[in-house]
Amino acid sequence: MAAPLLELSDITKWYGTTRALGDVDFDLKRGEVHALVGENGAGKSTLLAILSGVVAPDKGTINIDGRAVTIDDPSRAQALGISTVFQELSLAGALTVAENVFVGRAPTACGVIRWSELRRRTQQILSPFGIEIDVGRPVDRLPAATRQLVEIAKALSLDARILLLDEPTSALTSDEVAALFDIITRLKTRGIGIVYVSHHMAEVFQIADRITVLRDGRRMTTRAVPETSIDDVVRAMVGRNLEIFAAATALVPGPVALAVRGNGAKGNSRHLELEIRFGEVVGLAGLMGSRRSELARSLVGLQRPPGGAAIEIKGRPTRLRCLRDAMTRGIAYVPDDRKAEGLFLSMSVTDNFVVTALRRFARLGWIERAAAKAAASEAVERFRIRVPSLAAAAGKLSGGNQQKLMLSKWLASDPAIIVIDEPTKGVDVEAKREIHKEVRRLAAAGKAILLISSDLPELFTISDRIVVMREGQIVGDLPTRLATEESVMALASGTGHKHEGEAA
Amino acid sequence: MSVDEVGRWPLRIGSRVLRRFVETRELTLLVLIVAIIVGMSLASPVFLSLANFRAIAIGMAPTVIIAVGMTVLLVSGGFDLSVGSVLALASTVTALLLLSGASIPLAILGALALGVIIGLANGIVVTRIGVNPLVATLGSMSIARGIALVLTEGFSLINLPPAFGWAGRAEILGLPFLLWVALALVVVFDLAMRHGSFFRQLYYIGSNEKAARLSGLAVDRVRTLAYMLSGLLAALAGVLLASRLMSGTPTAGNALELQVLAAAVIGGASLRGGEGTVLGAFLGVVFVALINNAMTMLAVSIYWQMIVTGAVLVVAVALDMLVRRGDE
Ligand SMILES: Nc1ncnc2c1ncn2[C@@H]1O[C@H](COP(=O)(O)OP(=O)(O)OP(=O)(O)O)[C@@H](O)[C@H]1O
Ligand SMILES: [Mg+2]
Repeated sequence: MAAPLLELSDITKWYGTTRALGDVDFDLKRGEVHALVGENGAGKSTLLAILSGVVAPDKGTINIDGRAVTIDDPSRAQALGISTVFQELSLAGALTVAENVFVGRAPTACGVIRWSELRRRTQQILSPFGIEIDVGRPVDRLPAATRQLVEIAKALSLDARILLLDEPTSALTSDEVAALFDIITRLKTRGIGIVYVSHHMAEVFQIADRITVLRDGRRMTTRAVPETSIDDVVRAMVGRNLEIFAAATALVPGPVALAVRGNGAKGNSRHLELEIRFGEVVGLAGLMGSRRSELARSLVGLQRPPGGAAIEIKGRPTRLRCLRDAMTRGIAYVPDDRKAEGLFLSMSVTDNFVVTALRRFARLGWIERAAAKAAASEAVERFRIRVPSLAAAAGKLSGGNQQKLMLSKWLASDPAIIVIDEPTKGVDVEAKREIHKEVRRLAAAGKAILLISSDLPELFTISDRIVVMREGQIVGDLPTRLATEESVMALASGTGHKHEGEAA
Repeated sequence: MSVDEVGRWPLRIGSRVLRRFVETRELTLLVLIVAIIVGMSLASPVFLSLANFRAIAIGMAPTVIIAVGMTVLLVSGGFDLSVGSVLALASTVTALLLLSGASIPLAILGALALGVIIGLANGIVVTRIGVNPLVATLGSMSIARGIALVLTEGFSLINLPPAFGWAGRAEILGLPFLLWVALALVVVFDLAMRHGSFFRQLYYIGSNEKAARLSGLAVDRVRTLAYMLSGLLAALAGVLLASRLMSGTPTAGNALELQVLAAAVIGGASLRGGEGTVLGAFLGVVFVALINNAMTMLAVSIYWQMIVTGAVLVVAVALDMLVRRGDE
């Protein structure tokens, strides 16, 4: 048989004293989807970074079509037909969608960019995803999911033979995931090999032909999909069995903590009524464009409530002019973009952890280092954040560990009301369970929690109620035990019947 | 532990110690400073004398004071080009007030207040209106210098009351009062930047302004206060300079902003914000002052001194970049 498309052997990579990869073998056949899974910090992104020429391995060989190659820089990777969607999005925010997709390769005539041609081709590339956006818009004005799709489209447009996808669906809803899988299936028939990194086991088992499990930088096993099961893979990832976490939702919620009153306000016909009580977790579901992040941001003072709705905190109408207004009233907001909005990447783990509670750790304006470190180390332990040390820069943690750090940082401020946007983006199965448990524990401790997630099973696991948004309106509000994934999807896409909450 | 890991041990520790050394900018600078002192003591008999050190100390005191404010600003992602002009304006305003019969404390307070006001204006223009700090402070640099020149028609103001010269002449425990002031500010602000809950906010703001806002820090207020502090310290340096020279000099502190920036960057501050220490900036000032002094001793022309200072700056920053890149 011919040599595999891609073959790695003995790949080793050290970061200081951390071994990110140790003697890893990996191969990829033509027309194959080979999934790479493992806990946060297992070394998945590092392996892809080596293949895309971003970091150099300390040891090991890479063969493409049986020939040894050195990939010492990203342009070399591109020349070899390798194209990558990175875990942390890498678009140039101020440039337009079209310019980003065709970065450095825009169609030109005598050195002048042909803008209309550029736009046309970009539209062509984006059309299979069914997203309708103005390709002349700057990327940083787009919601996270659209940015992720643009990133994927960009990688696809490179006509690569090897496609590396690092958690490509972490911000996508199921429709978009389905569109991506259609495309992947088509690419397979053209003989393109795809490395697919994900924490979503269901997705992995749906799309992958083989699965390789990494743990602590070591390859644990490689299996063909029909011959293995989710349980086997998870066991190989974490080294033991995981019991399923079932949320206990049998509590009586307290008084209303946070309410949005937007029903017919100021002649507005939009339905936007929402109540969150102390002690309950409310899940906010909706497709892209449902404007649920907008609603969440307005609850914490980052923007005006859509459609002139009024906000009540503990029963009192309140105008929130900025986030600090919200914070002084005990509301915390965990943003969905950890890199741009959540973390201070050049600062230490401890520094990141204490920022929301500087005052709590200070006596007479002086920060008590020991107390701050002790609290940070306790949080690191509780959320199983894998860090080289508390003094390491946050930017050196793996994506999922950064996510955990961001969440723990917010919980450090001890808020009464918490608004969380995508809490488990990029987090591995075990840590996800820990985060779910933590959210439930907070609710049990009497906090009011509003949670946005594109991951429906997640909403079903931790919410007491699920609220569905579509086009800036609330179209459904139902207790989790009465909801099904189908009914929620139907409401979100507008194909289903209206539900209880709507009656008012 | 695999064989592979064992083999790496000594190398790893060795390179870690080395990297830690290069990474701790204060340490690197300290070693370089000692090297210059030792080298120069051998090369020139006049160098290692109390008189020479006193001259260096008095000469660099205003620069050190301004560097403290500049570091605070740089860490917050800010930038202040107006410091040299504010120093000159403060020195002339003090002199003008004294000559018009104001008491010494009143004259000093007046000049310091002016510095704070210019800083406030800088801060408002930068944070509220969103003008780039480079442009905003370039403007106030020109305005402040212009006012100083208009007020004095370009002449130095002399014949100040003798008592005003105390700060410039006084010695405490054998060291110039000016040096004590500068050292006290360095110590206080270095500690505050490391441990003070107010000043720690500057690092967050400089490192990721958006995240700082979302973490609930009062970003605009803190940044404005940093500009006010920079203005205040520049004015203080101006008052002390007037006291030492016993004159209000509208042309003082020309190009001082660049020297201070260079020293702060050599000391580990970054123009991108989020990094730097007051101690580092102080050592940066000492380092540059010593190099200049050494070149004077060795009779290198003043023009060459400019070239060398520039080269040192670029080399320091380039080395820093290389170390970081190696670190990924
Ligand atoms: N630039 C860096 N400097 C130091 N250590 C690093 C750096 N990048 C990654 N690491 C470390 O290497 C290990 C592997 O990281 P990697 O990003 O490959 O994990 P991952 O499997 O992609 O995890 P996740 O699922 O969280 O994205 C982690 O322990 C991480 O802390
Ligand atoms: Mg990763």
